[in-house]
Amino acid sequence: MSSGTGWSRFTDRHPVPVFTLPSVVVVAVLMVFPVLYTLYMSVHSWFASSLTSPEFVGLANFRRAFLDDERFRNALWLTVYFTGLATLLQLVLGVALALLLNRPFRGKGVVRSIFLLPMVATPVAIALVWMMMYNPTLGVMNYLVGLVGLGPYNWVSNAAIVVPALAVVDTWEWTPLITLITLAGLATLPLEPYESAVIDGASAAQMFWRITLPLLRPTIIVALLFRAIDCLKTFDIIYVMTQGGPGFASETLNVYTFQVGLFYFHIGYASSLLVILFALVLGVSLALIKVRRGSW
Amino acid sequence: MQALRKWSILSVVLALALVSPALAQQFNWQQAKGTQLRVLLNKHPWQAAIEPHLKEFETLTGVTLVTEVYPEDQFRAKVLVELASGASSIDVFMSMPAQEGLKYMRAGWLQPVDEFLKNPAVTAPDYNWKDFLEKTREAMVVEGKLVGPPIQVENTSLMYRKDVFQKYNVKVPTTLDELEAAAKALNGKAMTDDGQPGFGIVARGKRAAATSQFAAYLHAMGSTWIGPNREPMFNNEDGVKALELYGRLLRTYGPPGSENNHWYEASSIFSQGKAAMYTDANSLFPVIEDAQKSKVVGKVGYALFPRGPKGQYGSTVAAWGLAMPKSSKNQKAAWLFMQWATAKEQVLAVQSEKGVLGARESVWKDPKGLTKVPADLRESLTVGSKVGTPLWNPPVVAVAECRDAIGAAIVTSIQGGDVKVAANKAAADVKRIMAETEKK
Repeated sequence: MSSGTGWSRFTDRHPVPVFTLPSVVVVAVLMVFPVLYTLYMSVHSWFASSLTSPEFVGLANFRRAFLDDERFRNALWLTVYFTGLATLLQLVLGVALALLLNRPFRGKGVVRSIFLLPMVATPVAIALVWMMMYNPTLGVMNYLVGLVGLGPYNWVSNAAIVVPALAVVDTWEWTPLITLITLAGLATLPLEPYESAVIDGASAAQMFWRITLPLLRPTIIVALLFRAIDCLKTFDIIYVMTQGGPGFASETLNVYTFQVGLFYFHIGYASSLLVILFALVLGVSLALIKVRRGSW
Repeated sequence: MQALRKWSILSVVLALALVSPALAQQFNWQQAKGTQLRVLLNKHPWQAAIEPHLKEFETLTGVTLVTEVYPEDQFRAKVLVELASGASSIDVFMSMPAQEGLKYMRAGWLQPVDEFLKNPAVTAPDYNWKDFLEKTREAMVVEGKLVGPPIQVENTSLMYRKDVFQKYNVKVPTTLDELEAAAKALNGKAMTDDGQPGFGIVARGKRAAATSQFAAYLHAMGSTWIGPNREPMFNNEDGVKALELYGRLLRTYGPPGSENNHWYEASSIFSQGKAAMYTDANSLFPVIEDAQKSKVVGKVGYALFPRGPKGQYGSTVAAWGLAMPKSSKNQKAAWLFMQWATAKEQVLAVQSEKGVLGARESVWKDPKGLTKVPADLRESLTVGSKVGTPLWNPPVVAVAECRDAIGAAIVTSIQGGDVKVAANKAAADVKRIMAETEKK
């Protein structure tokens, strides 16, 4: 009884620490600890089957990644390539779609909702369906490109085009996100600049390039930020569709790290790869935020 | 003289027949009564087939079983993590020694069973270890020590369309040369139900997955993964020839996009009637003979993998078996379980009820053992498991990593790249991985 009153008196006096404690504990245990532990492991060498405990190796893992590991360099390049290609495609298509959907027409709400559907589908299911569409023998994609006199291609089985083929899948799924964010941006644009532009006799193209796009820039950069971060760490569709193949032609950093950590059990080295991926994501995010601030 | 020998053999047989039931009765199955065993099983046809019989073991021995079943990836991770923690309570687990055996043995996690097998106090006199097909016994040995008995066996073999070979009058290949000739002759010929053309051959081409089937080509060609001095050997002249052949077959006479085909894709193409030949594990026969999904039911022959230019056999012998951790506190009961699960009676039961390919020769001779298995599969399996090689994986500690490195060379070969360069690069990678993971 006395402890109960003591406890309630304590909560009355210190509401802030008491009520935030559960979430602080959750964040500490599930987020802060793993990140710190990964940093700790990244300077150790530990092959999970040996009975020895992790051995401190300093920055040897990082040196090995950048100097001796061809698969890592390949993965790093593919990560950048995939991210660049996918975000560019999504950006162009997403903004174009937003401009199209921003015009008044009948059934606009329904059409907008339909365009958002790919985003809510499960990535693994999407990957499996695209896998069938890309099948060189039985898939529909070769039929479609055949109609315009192209192909047949081996799609995700061809080392030269596997990354673009995967970027198309990611684009199909995530273009709506860019559209959604851009539409929100369009809704907040002021009308005055357009009115004065019309009076000054500006063409539609001029209005788009000189007014709409500059005003949308902060919005677009936010959308870009979301997509770039997501693309850098894409795992599901690549793992399901190619597992990094053919050979290592679509093995991005995330897929490679997964192999190293959970199939080869080099826990230390995998941790250092994750630290590099983390730095990459952080770097890209900071750069984009800086670009956005600079133009604000 | 001849007659005399016949008589003496007969009398020995008679004597054994009279004595062995008596001995069997003497064997004390109840010697570990009251023990509880924790058994980890991989989700697998054998597991599905044995589970309904586990009660019989409990009644016979008075030992209680606590079984846990996990899908393959989680199963492997679970066993590894538990054994690595040093505080495992596992008593028996399913294991493929060629996959993880060396790693586990070097780490000191496995309890070899040689002593149990030799000890008449814990091994029933009618267990008959020699009844297991020769190479399946070898497949369960790691660094000279027996890990446990095999529960299921499979070989890389040649599956072919009997109807197509007959229609186009092509001889079923028994050598690698004939294999390529047949692939060439049949590629593009009409072979589906509706008369559409199909491919000469199909096989796995996906990086690591392809290596276990490529193993048959490698050994038939006269090479192997690792030489006697623990140096990579698959990049020698014969090894490069095998790589070139594998790549050439799939590139020239196989389906486009072979580089991304695992057994699932490859067997789908074959069971849709779109290929004349398929080299893969014969344990895939239930997929090919599945009347619900396959269009080639009853049309497929299961032959021994073709032999190499010098007559070498390529057929691989992959075995799932049972193993016990050194940390188990119930080793006697664990051995009783391993023994019971692989006694003739149980092997016959799982093979006749669910078509699980057993490793006991006597079961393959028993007509009951053949009810669920295509007839010619018996021939190729029993021969293959005597003359083949248990080295379907490179005998290294870091199997998965080495398979990826070697698989990259297979993909290069399928893509028509420089095979010699790729093979040497893979060998250098394997050498580096071995140095990193096998340091004493």
